[in-house]
Amino acid sequence: MSQPNTTDMQKIETASNVLVLGGGLAGICTAEAIAAQGYPVLLVEPGEAVGLKAESRPLNSYSQSEKDTLNKLVEQVRSSENIEILEKTTLSCATGVAGDYRVWLSGQKPLSEKQVGAIVVASELIRNPLNAAYGLEIGGPVITQTDLEHALASETKKFTGKTVAFVVGFGQSGNPLVMERVLRSALELAQIEGTTVYVYVNDLKVAAEELERLYLKARDNGVLFFKLSQAPVIETQENGISITYSDPVILRDISAQADFLVIEEAMEADSANAHLACLLRLDLGSEGFMQTDNVHRYPVSTNREGIFVVGGSRQVKALDQACMDAENAALQVRRLLGDGTRLAPANKAVLDIGKCTFCLTCYRCCPHGAIYWSTENKPVISLIACQGCGICASECPMDAIQIGEFSDKAIHDQVQKSMANTGKAPNIVAFCCQNSAQEAAQMAADFGIALPEGLHLIQVPCAGKIDLDYILNAFVQGADGVLVMACHPRNCKSEHGNTYARWRVNDAQNRLSKAGLDKARLSFVTLASNMGSEFARIVTEFETWLRDL
Amino acid sequence: MIVAERKPFEEIKSLLEPYQKVLTVGCGTCVAVCLAGGEKEVGILNAELKIARKLEGKPIETGAITVERQCDMEFLEELDSMVDQYDALLSMACGAGIQFLAERFPEKPVFPAVDTSFIGVNRDVGWYEEKCRACGSCVLGLTAGICPVTMCAKSLFNGPCGGTNKQSCEINVNQPCAWYRIHERLSKQGRLKNIMEIHPPNDWRNQAPRTIIQPGYEERLKAFNGK
Repeated sequence: MSQPNTTDMQKIETASNVLVLGGGLAGICTAEAIAAQGYPVLLVEPGEAVGLKAESRPLNSYSQSEKDTLNKLVEQVRSSENIEILEKTTLSCATGVAGDYRVWLSGQKPLSEKQVGAIVVASELIRNPLNAAYGLEIGGPVITQTDLEHALASETKKFTGKTVAFVVGFGQSGNPLVMERVLRSALELAQIEGTTVYVYVNDLKVAAEELERLYLKARDNGVLFFKLSQAPVIETQENGISITYSDPVILRDISAQADFLVIEEAMEADSANAHLACLLRLDLGSEGFMQTDNVHRYPVSTNREGIFVVGGSRQVKALDQACMDAENAALQVRRLLGDGTRLAPANKAVLDIGKCTFCLTCYRCCPHGAIYWSTENKPVISLIACQGCGICASECPMDAIQIGEFSDKAIHDQVQKSMANTGKAPNIVAFCCQNSAQEAAQMAADFGIALPEGLHLIQVPCAGKIDLDYILNAFVQGADGVLVMACHPRNCKSEHGNTYARWRVNDAQNRLSKAGLDKARLSFVTLASNMGSEFARIVTEFETWLRDL
Repeated sequence: MIVAERKPFEEIKSLLEPYQKVLTVGCGTCVAVCLAGGEKEVGILNAELKIARKLEGKPIETGAITVERQCDMEFLEELDSMVDQYDALLSMACGAGIQFLAERFPEKPVFPAVDTSFIGVNRDVGWYEEKCRACGSCVLGLTAGICPVTMCAKSLFNGPCGGTNKQSCEINVNQPCAWYRIHERLSKQGRLKNIMEIHPPNDWRNQAPRTIIQPGYEERLKAFNGK
C-alpha cells in the first residue's frame, strides 16, 4: 500500500442553513446570532409560539424592562428575512453528517425534508415543584414559586399585610437560577405594604451576576433570611402555616407562623431531551442534559460535529448565559460552514469499499456519528465529522479502514523497526494515546527523567486505535512487555476510545494466558498529559518487573 | 446470516500440533460480519498461534489470506498457487466454507477454526441471536413473523406446551415463550384465525443432504453438466 500524502486535502461542500430546535429565549438568541452571521436559519418550536411563551421560566419572573427587551428581540427574529419560523413543529427524524444533515419535520405542515448544514438544540428547562421533599401538597396556603410569580403579576393585594415564607435549598442543592427567582419574588413581596417575608434557605447560591446585590437589596428591604442546615418542619393549619426550625445561632427550636408558604422549584433538563438525543445520536449526559462532561470540547459542542447545544439543553442556565451560548454556537457554525466549502485531509479515515463487508460495526462504534449510509447503500466516513480517533478502524473485522498516518502497515512497521536493534534490556512496546500518554512521555523526556533503555513508544491518535492484533503482534515481534496507555476514565476526547482499549486489553490478556504467556506482560494504564513523572514511574516499574521475571 | 464463534484456542492448537506451516483462511462474508473469521480475526489467531508455539519451542509459520466467500469455488481459486507452501489449512469460514475448501484441496489437511452456530440476526456489535433453523418449509406467514421451529424450545407447530410460564419458556425465564408472542402479535393484528387450525408436522425427512436447483436453471445445469 502506498503511503498517503498527508497534505492531500479534499474540498467538501456544506449546506449553509442551520436548524435551531427550540423557540424559547435561548433559541431566539441563537437564531438571531446565526442569522447575523449570514446563514439562513430554520427556527422550530414544538409549542404554540416562539418567544416568551416557549420560555421555561415564567414570563412573570422577568421585570417589565426585561420583558420589553425580550419582546423586542422576538419581534426582531419574527421580522428577520433570514429566519424562517415553524411553530407547533417537531423533529421526526435526522440523518447525515455535519455540513449535510437531512431532517424531517412534522407539524402544521405535512412531513417535510430539509437539508441543513448544522443543528443547534435549544431545549428549555422544566420546572419541578419540590413539595414532596417537604411532605406537603400544593394547594391553599402552600404555593409554588411559579404560582407566586403569577400572583405577583396580577393580584399583589392578596399579600398585603400577610406573612410569606419561602423554603429553598432543602429539596435540591439548588443553583443561582432558582435563587434568583426566589430573591426577586421576596424583594417584590417586601415592597408590598405590611408584608413580612421569611426565606428559609440552606445554601444561598448567588454565584451569578447581580445576585449578591439582589440578596443584599432584599435584606435591606426587610426580607428575613434564615440560613439553616436542616429543613424546617412545616405543618399546615386552619389559619395558615406553622414553621419550626432549629435556630443555629441561639441553638433553640423556634416556631413561626405564615399565611403562605412558597415551595422551591427545581429547574431541570427536559425529559424530552432523551428522545431528541436518540434522534440526533447525541450522548446524553448526567441529569438528562444533551452533553457529556468532556474537557476536550468547546462549551456548546457535542459528540457530533455540527450539532451544538445551548442553554437548557446543556446546563441550568440563566438567560444571560444562554445568550452567551447562542453567540458561541454562532461562532461554531461559522467555523464549520464557512463560505460553503471546507477542506479536510483526504486520508483522515479511508474506507476500502472493496474490502468492506457492510457489517455496520464502524457505523455502530463511531462515537461521533461520522459514518453514514449513502443512497447507494454504502458506508461513508464524513471527513468533516470524523475526528480521526480510529475506533472504527480497530473494530473493523476486515481491516477496511485506515486512519491517516496511523495505518495498520505504518504501526506494524514501527513496532517491527523498534525491535530490530535491541540490546539486553527488556523490550517494552508502549502504545500511547497522543492526547495523554504521548504528551506525558514527552514531558518525562523534556525533564530529563531516565526512561528504560528498551522502551519503544508507538503513538496512536486515541487509545481506541490500538487493535487487538497490534498488541498480540508486538509480542510476536519480540516484545517482553506491552503497555496500553490511555486517557483516564471519562476523559477520552472521543468518549469511548479508552474504554474500547481497556476491553481489548482484557481480551488480549485472556488470549495471552491461553497461549501460555503471563498476562501481566500486558498492562493497561491511564494517564493525563501532565503526568510526566508518573509515566516514568510506570514504565520503570514495568521494566523492573520484566527484568525480575 | 450464518453466525459462528471462534473455537477455543486450546482446541485449535491441538489440531495443528503436527504442522509447521499453516495457512489461515478467513472468509469475508458471514463470519466477517459476525466478527469471528474476517481478516482481523485471521491476524489475531495467527499471532496467538505464533506466541504459543514459540513458547513451546515448536515455532509455527503462518500465512494469512481472507477470501470473499469460501462457499464459492471461484473465490478459492486464488489459493491455488499458495497452498503448496503449507502443511495444513486452517479455515475460519462456516462449516460450508470449510468443506468447500477441503474439497478444493483434497490432498491438504483442512481444519476448522470456528464452530458454526446458527442462522441469526445482529442485535449490536458482537451480539447475535438465532432466528432460523433452515427447516425447509417456512411458516412465518402464519405465525406473525415469529418462527416456532427456532424460537420454541420444542419446535412446536400448534401452540405452547404445558411449560409456558407467564410469557416465558420453561427452559429459562429470560427466554420468551414463542407461542405466547405469536398469540400476542397475531391478536394485535386481528389474525388469530391463522393458528386455529391444526398445522401438520414438518416433513423432517427433508433434513437429508439437500440440493436446490433454482427454477429456470435446470436446463443450464443439464447443458453445462454443473460446470
